[in-house]
Amino acid sequence: MTVSFPSIDFFRALQARMHDERERFKRLGYFDTVFGVRVLDAGRTHAYVLSFEVFECTGVRETADLSAEPVDFVLEGDLDTWVEMLRNIQQHRAADVAHSINTLTHLGERMRVVYDDPDGHDKLYRFAESVQEFIDLAATLDIEYAPRQAASHAGA
Amino acid sequence: MSYLSSVDFFEDKDFLDRYRYTMRTGELDLSWMQAATEKVQCEPQNPRRGLTFRDLDVGTYGFTNMPELIRANRSFAPRGAEIPAGVPDLQAEVNRKSEVWAYNIEGYYEEAMSRQWNATTDVPWDELSKYELPEEIGKAYSQLLTFLTEVEMIATDVPAKWMGRLNADFFEVKNFIATQAMDEARHAEVFRKRALTTGWGLMRASLSNECNLKFLRDADSFAEASLTLHLQAEGMVLTLFRFSELISPTEVDKKMFRLVMQDEARHVGYGMQHLKWVLDHFPEKREVIHRHLDEAENFVFGGGYATEVLEPFIILSGKGMKQENIQQGLKITAQFNLKQVDEYFERLDKCGLPERRERSKLAQINEMTRAVIAAQA
Repeated sequence: MTVSFPSIDFFRALQARMHDERERFKRLGYFDTVFGVRVLDAGRTHAYVLSFEVFECTGVRETADLSAEPVDFVLEGDLDTWVEMLRNIQQHRAADVAHSINTLTHLGERMRVVYDDPDGHDKLYRFAESVQEFIDLAATLDIEYAPRQAASHAGA
Repeated sequence: MSYLSSVDFFEDKDFLDRYRYTMRTGELDLSWMQAATEKVQCEPQNPRRGLTFRDLDVGTYGFTNMPELIRANRSFAPRGAEIPAGVPDLQAEVNRKSEVWAYNIEGYYEEAMSRQWNATTDVPWDELSKYELPEEIGKAYSQLLTFLTEVEMIATDVPAKWMGRLNADFFEVKNFIATQAMDEARHAEVFRKRALTTGWGLMRASLSNECNLKFLRDADSFAEASLTLHLQAEGMVLTLFRFSELISPTEVDKKMFRLVMQDEARHVGYGMQHLKWVLDHFPEKREVIHRHLDEAENFVFGGGYATEVLEPFIILSGKGMKQENIQQGLKITAQFNLKQVDEYFERLDKCGLPERRERSKLAQINEMTRAVIAAQA
């Protein structure tokens, strides 16, 4: 089944894959965080909330306003960067040296980690391998990448 | 031997007679069945998680209602057990909850237990044969690994040193710092192993960092040790591990740094929640905390900019030693140094110590560095 990115179906597919691989994720240990994903697409924003508890992804939902959600942190990037990362994962079966979540977010140039509370921010690192392996599950999906929105000219 | 039994059991007639009588007749004492303790039957609140310390937080067995000063138990008797007369006083050095406690300490322990990994088998060592690093990169990386092994050795020793000095009633804290000792031993192990796979082995220990490590080891109190180790040092090392993942020369190394940063972030979490607990319950300790941090920051400044640390970062982040690589490496390393200090102050702000920035020389140096970088840009 093909899933489109960005879409709620994409994240639900990752959730399903994580369930299929539950023994692997169980070995990584407790994974207790709620984080947001924000995909910026030429003035339009796609935002999702992903919830993890114990060894499972317990919730995936789309949201209109991520800033109002009680999340530990948000992974934010433009569509091109997200697509490049996912294509890289699909090509190599996992992110390569230039495309891990930590690498892409570290300098804040291509992707960023947005947070209010440094304790929440640190959850990205407390569960770093689980987060990376969750995203790397994209290697097992058939993904159709949505075309970039044309830049809006509001006010022009 | 510093402690001797007051009884030679092999020669004590009463003890020997009782032992022989019991084994011969089967007549049991059974007075322990009337132990004056609370009868409980705890159950897992979340079966998917298993039975956690939080599930055991009931009555006299629990930790929520523990007093600030533990007077009743000076022994190894587990919290909640009946303590018979005559048990030796173990003279635990740390008996105040405010010196050790942290919000969610029980959660950090359970997380630590579930997230243990194996340095021997969870790093794909066999994949290293795919990579050949240029000499300067290999040497720079080996120097970084030497420094990291040094640091993690003291991070193992400090919690281990204090574990046996805490009152036995601080069960959850002792268990947590036992996991930290194991985590850090594993970090020292993995960095040493990686250094010895590079083809260059270990490089040079760092004089200024050795002094910093001695400062950490020789802290006068657990509270001081925890503040400087968990919150300050490990906070900065967490940023360093994240930076190391960024500049890692291979995917094997990236996985290794992701695994170590998990543990480090958990230790930092304990440090933050411990400081919050202290400031919430004992705000009068604020000035003492500032004085500890004054000296800790002095050591950090000296250690962080040591050539054995700074130069490998520049070479690894610039990916070489040509002039353009060094220039790129300088920029990236400078940003890392700023981030390391910024995130340290951000944590202190959140813990309830926002005034630290104003009085800190480290903060002043950081702002000066930021201004220099901005001017160069």
